[in-house]
Amino acid sequence: MSDGPQVLVVDDEAQIVRGLKVILRQEGYEVKAAETKAEALDAVSVHPPDAMVLDLVLPAGSGVDVCKEVRSWSQLPIIVLSALGDEREKVKALDAGADDYVTKPFGTDELLARLRAVLRRAGDADTEPILTIGELELDLADHSVTRRGEPVHLTPLEFDLLRVLAQNRGRLITHAQLLREVWGPAYQTETHYLRVHMTHIRAKIEVDPSHPRYLITEPGVGYRLRDES
Amino acid sequence: MVSLESLGAVAVSTGLVALLDAVTPITGLGVIYLLAVLFLAIRRGELAALGTALLSVLTLNFFFIEPRHTLTISDSENIVALGVFLIAAIVVGRLATVSRQRSAEAEDRARLAVAREREARVLAAAASSLLDGAGIDTQLDNIERSVGSERPGPIRVELTHAPAPGTDELAVRLPISGRPGWLYLSRELSWSKEDQRRLAEALARLIDVALERERLDARAAEAEATRRAEVVKTAVLHAISHDLRSPLTAITTAAGGLRDEDLLARDRAELVAVITDEASRLARLIDDLLDLSRIEAGAVEPRPDWCDVRDAVVGAAAQARAACGDHRIDFALPDELPFVRADPVQLERVFANLIENAVKFSPPNLPVRVTGSAGGGRVTVRVINRGSGVPRSQRRRIFEPFVRGREPGQGSGLGLAICRGFVEANGGRIALQAETDQTAFAVSFPIVRQPTPA
Repeated sequence: MSDGPQVLVVDDEAQIVRGLKVILRQEGYEVKAAETKAEALDAVSVHPPDAMVLDLVLPAGSGVDVCKEVRSWSQLPIIVLSALGDEREKVKALDAGADDYVTKPFGTDELLARLRAVLRRAGDADTEPILTIGELELDLADHSVTRRGEPVHLTPLEFDLLRVLAQNRGRLITHAQLLREVWGPAYQTETHYLRVHMTHIRAKIEVDPSHPRYLITEPGVGYRLRDES
Repeated sequence: MVSLESLGAVAVSTGLVALLDAVTPITGLGVIYLLAVLFLAIRRGELAALGTALLSVLTLNFFFIEPRHTLTISDSENIVALGVFLIAAIVVGRLATVSRQRSAEAEDRARLAVAREREARVLAAAASSLLDGAGIDTQLDNIERSVGSERPGPIRVELTHAPAPGTDELAVRLPISGRPGWLYLSRELSWSKEDQRRLAEALARLIDVALERERLDARAAEAEATRRAEVVKTAVLHAISHDLRSPLTAITTAAGGLRDEDLLARDRAELVAVITDEASRLARLIDDLLDLSRIEAGAVEPRPDWCDVRDAVVGAAAQARAACGDHRIDFALPDELPFVRADPVQLERVFANLIENAVKFSPPNLPVRVTGSAGGGRVTVRVINRGSGVPRSQRRRIFEPFVRGREPGQGSGLGLAICRGFVEANGGRIALQAETDQTAFAVSFPIVRQPTPA
């Protein structure tokens, strides 16, 4: 047994669990598995893991319910596995407290990157006043942004949006979460606000806005500030 | 036979004769009574003229023929004169009557011609609306619009059980077979009963034709849907038996190869690449089949949101790059394009499919171009490649499922069918624009009222 972070895999597909166990152990994680909602909740309450990888479709119960219940008493990072085209379910899970998702069938690199992102986020409270993402630097105290040391001029709204994404770098932030954070709870459905400002931010921070390196759109779900670069 | 009118006319004639008789007594003054006969013939017809003639003879005899104030005649010359007068009166009466009838007939004919012309105009308008209308309801609307301007009052048609005429409207039942209907005519129009009946019958026949055409169209559409479902079913079976089996075979083979512990690292990597590539091909094919069956079943259910097509295109380009490598893609998208209402996931899927297709059919050194524009009430995005083009024979069927491009084995043949399904489900249009040196797929959405900016 390694002493790495402990990951609970919740999936009733034995073959998927089998593959994930090998891959995650190889990366230094300690892996436990659960097949049902009840088993998952038991496992989390008896011995809380450092992160959970959760299939949205479980026998007798939905992954969304697991998210809700776990969130009622734990901030444990959760990554959900979902099928393509299930944007509704993804948004439901994210709004119920999941931290991110990968679409089945997923590449192992993608899953591992997401897992790293949520674990890092859980580890540091992001209190540093300066966030560095690739060639970007955000000074939270000074409300300023630079790219390769050159100042980037953002409006206060644009800065707030970028700040929320940067503080959650690598993680998917839903439209509703962004709107709530920046505009307030009354604006959760005004997704077109985001489209305009994200286009402007992209034009300012990306070298080639039609080939974005940082600001990634997850259509129908939200945005992500990509960290690996 | 002798009316007040003829009595009056005879009295006036008598007065006139008496007056002239006092001034210049002439024997032929009796002719004046012919005026009375003529008057009655024109006003009242032959019978009245005859009565007036007899009355005139009696009066003439009584007042002016010796011995006066009796109905006896002393002079035989006067008998002849009276006889001639009577004959003349009868002839005048007859002639006047005939000419009166003629003119009445001519009037009738003129009135009928006007009525027929009006009827023909209404029917022509109705018939042409029926021909270009989509469904019976639009057709009825069209009829209203085209005949509605009829002066001096509008005409309406309704397919309802009970008539509901407006205040100054007349309701006439339309004899349509198998469906109740009503024709409303403005009272101002003063259609005669006969004209109303004729118009109602003719309109009813036109509506019958339209209803029948609608029934036939529905049946044809149903047959077309059945045919397409058949095509899809056959193709799905084919896909399952062949297209799904071949990546599975490749995966099994590669996995078997990996069991060999003495493999060179290079060979191992090669086999792993086969497994990952074929697995993603398999996943893609299953997604496509699922999408296609949703589209064919009319179960696409878009969740419309405000979409920036540039955002969708950029995301799609990233998807396409991930799927088929780094081909050069040039963008020509204006900074400010109106938002469109569409499902963002489906929109990105459409552009990803189109860009992947374009990359697949582009020569390696020629970039794929994506252009955007707003005009004619629509936002249009074109995905353009400069490959060898779509064979003329395939252009018409290019959006049908399982129609593959020039080279066989290039994809499942589902991409464009899915594009069309998603675009149309979101209220947009997709078209192939084939030119000699380039092939473009144009996707357009109507520009709707924009949301208030933040």
